[in-house]
Amino acid sequence: MTWLPYAVAAWLFAIGLYGLASSRNLIHLVGCLSVCQSATYVLLLGLGYRYGSIAPIFYDHPPGTPAVDPVMQALVLTDIVVGATLSALLLVLTVQAYKRSGTLDPEHLKPMSRGGDKAAPATSAKHPAR
Amino acid sequence: MSAILILLFLLTAASGTAVVLIRDPARQIFALAGNGVVLTILFTALQAPDVALSELAVGGAAVPLLFLVALMAVRTGRRDEEHEG
Amino acid sequence: MSPRLRLAVLGVALLALVPGAAATIAHLPDFGATIAAYGERINAIAPGERHVANMVSAINFDLRGLDTLGEEFMLLAAITGTVVLLRGRRGETLTDRAMRLPGRAILPRSEAVQLTCRLAGPLLMMFGLYVVLHATVTPGGGFQGGVILASGTLLAYLGEGYGGWRDMVRSHWLDAMEGGGAVLFTVCGLAPMLTGAAFMQNVLPLGTFRDVFSGGLMLVENAGVALAVCGGFTQLFLEFLEETREADGPEEPGEDSA
Repeated sequence: MTWLPYAVAAWLFAIGLYGLASSRNLIHLVGCLSVCQSATYVLLLGLGYRYGSIAPIFYDHPPGTPAVDPVMQALVLTDIVVGATLSALLLVLTVQAYKRSGTLDPEHLKPMSRGGDKAAPATSAKHPAR
Repeated sequence: MSAILILLFLLTAASGTAVVLIRDPARQIFALAGNGVVLTILFTALQAPDVALSELAVGGAAVPLLFLVALMAVRTGRRDEEHEG
Repeated sequence: MSPRLRLAVLGVALLALVPGAAATIAHLPDFGATIAAYGERINAIAPGERHVANMVSAINFDLRGLDTLGEEFMLLAAITGTVVLLRGRRGETLTDRAMRLPGRAILPRSEAVQLTCRLAGPLLMMFGLYVVLHATVTPGGGFQGGVILASGTLLAYLGEGYGGWRDMVRSHWLDAMEGGGAVLFTVCGLAPMLTGAAFMQNVLPLGTFRDVFSGGLMLVENAGVALAVCGGFTQLFLEFLEETREADGPEEPGEDSA
């Protein structure tokens, strides 16, 4: 069973990708992306774990007690917090896309380049004084 | 590997799958918060209390809240549409 | 590309990757058998060299402090982007109600909720401060404590209503906290260079092991991160909630800012 943590990480990444490809709602899509993120947390912490070790905090145990890998934990720790702000940025883009186009379905979003100049005044006329 | 770790890893896979397969964003928020709590317990079991604390605050509270408010912003926007259209 | 075709492409790609992933997993070190030599060395050396008990904080703020500086600016960039995107399109004519669907019944806030929030809010803020201050001793630090502090302000929203929350939380203070935290962290990197030391070298007295005031420069950097994360996340909550404020409509009678 030593492969289980890595298999779980791979599974989370794959199912997140499937969600990204099949999602019909941009907010749901951001949620799928956070599942992909959690795959990296599971992989890194799985690599840094060792049986019979303590957490890398030498307060109750004297320094020198076998501890798990602190580097992986530092990586994951900062990534969780910064990743949350990136999710927030994506959610804001979603809300703004909805306000412009009136849909959350990525299938119905028009490419921005084609006729973007013509479409912009029309939308601003439809939503005055927002 | 101890039974509890196996169970927690399987639970993590299941809750991540649930986040993807629940298509309604309003229900997905609950799956997201549940996924955050499951990850918190897993990280605690992997001897990472720092990461668990961070995941509890971010994944269990802050991120679901941001999703909730974003969903709400979209719904208020939809109401405007009906009024103007 | 049609959705079905896209899923087919993804399926083929994932199937093609399965053998590679399986081979990689087979060659990774067995779960729980060993850890990387780098982490092992840090566990062995850092408590003596830096006088701190929490290795994760030691890595974040000292040994790999430059990485955290990068993360700090990613945080700043993401939040700045969010704020710019949201503020750009917002008008002035909004009421001070948020998170409200039209037509939904307005229930007065019960006194039990108010009391619970007034009691739990300060306690949660205190816990957040505790987590921030004990970064080098126990699990915790600026990243976790900052998020807890930001969530603590939301209890004021729950208990006092949106208007009360906005009276408490001022947007320009949050801007100052967020930017000031990043500046503080950068100064922590640059100031040692004035004394002739290297970038971000720990020149302050290191303190005693297992004491709150241990780690020297780490404490200042930790405070910078806590300021930036707390200010940034509160700013996110504020801008998101601001987005749900409804446009000025006919006032419904008997409605207070809920």
